[in-house]
Amino acid sequence: MIRMLLRVLGNEYAKPVRRTVALMTTTAVAEGLSYAFLVPILGALFGSDPADAVPWLVAFGAVFAVYGILRYRSDLSGFRVGITLLSGMYHRLGDHLARLPMGWYSAARVGEVSVLASSGVMRAMSVLAHLLSPFISASVTPLTIIAVLLVFNWQLGLAAVVAVPIVAAIQRWTGRAIAATDTERAERDHDATNRVIEYLQAQPVLRAGGRTAERFQLLDDSLRDVQRASRRTVLSALPGVVGLTITVQAMFTVVLALGGYLALNGGIGVAEVLTILVLAARCADPLLSLADIGGKLRGAQAELARLDEVLHTRPLPEAPDPVLPGGHGVEFEAVTFRHGDRTVTDDVSLTVPNGQRLAVVGPSGSGKSTLLELIARFYDVDEGSVRVGGADVRSIGTEVLMERIAVVFQDVYLFDGTVEENVRLGRPDATDAEVRAAAAAARLDEVISRLPDGWATNVGEGGALLSGGERQRVSIARALLKNAPIVLLDEVTSALDPVNEAAVHDGIERLMAGRTVVMVAHRLHTVQRADQVVFLDGGRIVEQGTHDELVRQGGRYAEFWELSLTAHS
Amino acid sequence: MTGLLRPYLGGFAAVVVLQVIGAISGLAPMLAVVELGRTLLSPGPADHDHVWTVVILGAAGLFVRLVATAASSGIGHLLDNRVQLSLRRQLAARLGRAPIGWFSRRRTGELAKVVGEDVSAVHPFIAHTPGELVAAFVVPLVSMVYLFTIDWRLTLITLIPVVLAVALVPLMMTPARLREQEDFDAGMARIANSVVEFVQGIAVVKAFGGAGRAHGRFRTAVDEFVTTFLRWVRGLSGIAAGMQLALSPPFVLLVVLIGGTALVTSGGMAPADLLPFLLLGLGLTAPVAALGHGFDEMQTARRAVGRIKDVLAVDPLPQPTCPGTAQGHRVELRDVRFGYETDREVLRGIDLVLEPGTVTAVVGPSGSGKSTLVQLLPRFFDPTSGSVAIGGADLRELGSRQLYELVSFVFQDVRLLRASVTDNIALAVPDASPDDVVRAARLADIHDRILELPRGYDTVIGEDVKLSGGEAQRIAIARALLADTPVLVLDEATAFADPHTERAVRRALATLKGDRTILLIAHRMETVADADTVVMLEDGVVAEHGAPGDLVARNGKFAEFWRSQRGGNGT
Repeated sequence: MIRMLLRVLGNEYAKPVRRTVALMTTTAVAEGLSYAFLVPILGALFGSDPADAVPWLVAFGAVFAVYGILRYRSDLSGFRVGITLLSGMYHRLGDHLARLPMGWYSAARVGEVSVLASSGVMRAMSVLAHLLSPFISASVTPLTIIAVLLVFNWQLGLAAVVAVPIVAAIQRWTGRAIAATDTERAERDHDATNRVIEYLQAQPVLRAGGRTAERFQLLDDSLRDVQRASRRTVLSALPGVVGLTITVQAMFTVVLALGGYLALNGGIGVAEVLTILVLAARCADPLLSLADIGGKLRGAQAELARLDEVLHTRPLPEAPDPVLPGGHGVEFEAVTFRHGDRTVTDDVSLTVPNGQRLAVVGPSGSGKSTLLELIARFYDVDEGSVRVGGADVRSIGTEVLMERIAVVFQDVYLFDGTVEENVRLGRPDATDAEVRAAAAAARLDEVISRLPDGWATNVGEGGALLSGGERQRVSIARALLKNAPIVLLDEVTSALDPVNEAAVHDGIERLMAGRTVVMVAHRLHTVQRADQVVFLDGGRIVEQGTHDELVRQGGRYAEFWELSLTAHS
Repeated sequence: MTGLLRPYLGGFAAVVVLQVIGAISGLAPMLAVVELGRTLLSPGPADHDHVWTVVILGAAGLFVRLVATAASSGIGHLLDNRVQLSLRRQLAARLGRAPIGWFSRRRTGELAKVVGEDVSAVHPFIAHTPGELVAAFVVPLVSMVYLFTIDWRLTLITLIPVVLAVALVPLMMTPARLREQEDFDAGMARIANSVVEFVQGIAVVKAFGGAGRAHGRFRTAVDEFVTTFLRWVRGLSGIAAGMQLALSPPFVLLVVLIGGTALVTSGGMAPADLLPFLLLGLGLTAPVAALGHGFDEMQTARRAVGRIKDVLAVDPLPQPTCPGTAQGHRVELRDVRFGYETDREVLRGIDLVLEPGTVTAVVGPSGSGKSTLVQLLPRFFDPTSGSVAIGGADLRELGSRQLYELVSFVFQDVRLLRASVTDNIALAVPDASPDDVVRAARLADIHDRILELPRGYDTVIGEDVKLSGGEAQRIAIARALLADTPVLVLDEATAFADPHTERAVRRALATLKGDRTILLIAHRMETVADADTVVMLEDGVVAEHGAPGDLVARNGKFAEFWRSQRGGNGT
């Protein structure tokens, strides 16, 4: 448990965690030992001269003072270390998530990661602050008491000792039984979270399909799965809880009976038997609470295991000796890339010299966008290499590579913040004048003048409060502000009304001027002016040349061109 | 909340009764030790039979406790399980009826948290609290009465730790503390939101986040949260630790022993009477400690219940009490006004009639209210004034089932479900035959692509395969084709499309014509030219309206717009 905690946290936290655990253990032992003083105190009080108890009472008070200080300090230390860890953990997870390859982010991850990175981290870290101390004290204190019992009366001590391995075995066994159902339950939870997010986001479609909650079986199924899984967890925990209780209560009963027997047969003093029974009661209570604490601890442990798994997913490797690209040309050399068992990019070779424009054309699903993503190294290729300025993108430092590339995506994602924040993302240290200039060049200024709060208008989650064309203008301003030598455009002018399209087009022209451009386009007018066109199908280049050459060739591209002309006439 | 829980009252009662029986039987072994002490310490030979009776009674009490608490816990958890499912279902049902406008003001992450985590957080309320709360009062009460009968002075002394601990509770509930707790929750919600954004916007994070800048929002949310948390804990941890210490067994024993020694040495109490205090005195604090321990959880549960109630209290889009029926499918909009916020009207008095068998194209600059207008037909919103009617029936008088049998739509923002291709296409017609699904897919020009997918029509979208924008669009078109409703609303979202998708849209329009009423947002002038009627929207009002040829001839706003498109078509 502690070992996994330390592994997830990383080494810098090992020392404070160990110190806190040691402090908690010492506190628990001190509590157990303090009870030893009950023996002489009660011996005196039940004996002939009760006044003899006073010096022992003073000693008990002194030991309690020590215990009190230890306890107070270990509680505070647990809280403090817990919060430090929480903060460290969040940052570590955030940084790691940003470095994981795009391929890792499937639709299902949104739910998983959102649970994990918000309350999951919290639950895992609460181990130290809330659960570790009760757990240690509930297991270490009874052990210490049993040791004290053994010293005072071996027969009764022995009766108590027998329970120890049984309790330990039950704890272990229950742990395993629950772990299995717990994992399943967590999976169902994630699944349901995904379904809920989907259900919420797809409300318009679902309503039009007449699918309100009762009729949206997918959601209801996953909610029912959650219920079934959690019922299984409850049922699998029950035998452990009952078993533990039976064992502990049997131990107490045996001690009670044996104590009665020994006292009646004069084998042991009455005061001693009574003291031992008081101690046994002290021993039983914390052991009984162990079942409850253990359950919570396992919940946190499962969460830790999931964190561990994410943190051990390998990010794209960073080059140990990063090289600087010499120039801004882009090359693909025999590149093959697979997504699962589907070959998305199949043996693609092409060259875009510095400052030239390449247009990528093809039917949807032919792997056009993937080419752009490989240049920006969202994924690593399976075979061949992608080079920027003559250097393999894998050997260039991520930051250096990203500095050189500006991307305008087909589906623009804006962060929930103001328009200005979203534009500034391109270059956070840009001056206000530069931001305004980029906005003007992207004709975003017209949009801003219309917005209720101008630059300070909030765009909503995903940019939902702006129209498609307006979002696109924000993303172009962002790219202009970044001022990178290589520009990647992904079907930028699709689906805009004429006014927006003209505006976006102006911005795009400014963005492309003097830069190396790779663009995915289906509005074939845009393609006409490219220096080079490749036609992709099924991840392969089937035709390559200038627009005029390809039209003359009369192949697939020409057919596409015809189709687009008729569609528009 | 009580209304929600009413069907489960029987279960709750069983949980509480069993818990109380278990807790009180738990006192039996303690009393057995006390009785044993009395018998053994009394002068003269011990009564063997009495001793064994006591031992057996103690063991029996333990057994009853075991059975009762296990049953109570089992029943409680299973009950909790059912309540959670029912809560989630009710939340989903309520969310499925809330006006779409309500969603645009809320974040998906926050709502998902209510349905998921908040419902789970109610767990202690249902599975633990009722039983434990009652036990926490009954057990000390019974013990205390018993102890008072033995020695009232020592009973008062035994209560000192409890009084100390309880005295600390108000310090944990000062307005400042409660406010910090709310901040804590708000901080957590911010993290959840920033995570959803962070993960969905990962491409942007990657493209712009070289130095880890773009996920700054997540980091900021985390830092703010940790600061809040730290402030909260700093205020609370000292008090909490002090409370724990006051309730700790060594402290209680110390207090009892000091008091007991004083009383025994002064001859005010028999030594044997000390035993019940040593054994039951701890019992007095245990429930208080349990309360304190569960305090965080209880607070969390209380706040979670608050959020659940908020969602359940959302007014659904009202449904008619006696639904009207549509006669035909002529669509009429009469002086329709609408605004997302009260002070900003998006539609400012729209009058429009869409005749069956015609195609009406809506054009206009961005922000003119086109999307809002077409979304009124599937009743995503109700107009703030005026009316939208189909076949003479106001949409508000139609049941939702009826409405969706009349209207289908393809909007720009295509959402496919994480379900099979077939299920996605047959969304509105779950009982469609496979042949019908294939026919719709063929018409939408997506059939061949579907066959290439790993499992064809059974491929789960988003799991087995991620579709491109154009492909998603064509699935949506197939969906509308299959639904085959008399009214179709279409955003000519040739978005993300390749020529195939454009052709699919065209073909769909050609197939669907005939007797249907079609309203579409046109982006391409070719589509506009094919329409029967053009509606030019500007700033929420109809600027021009008529046949496309007439409007061009009139040389007004539409003609100007038409020319700007001609110029922009060179892209």
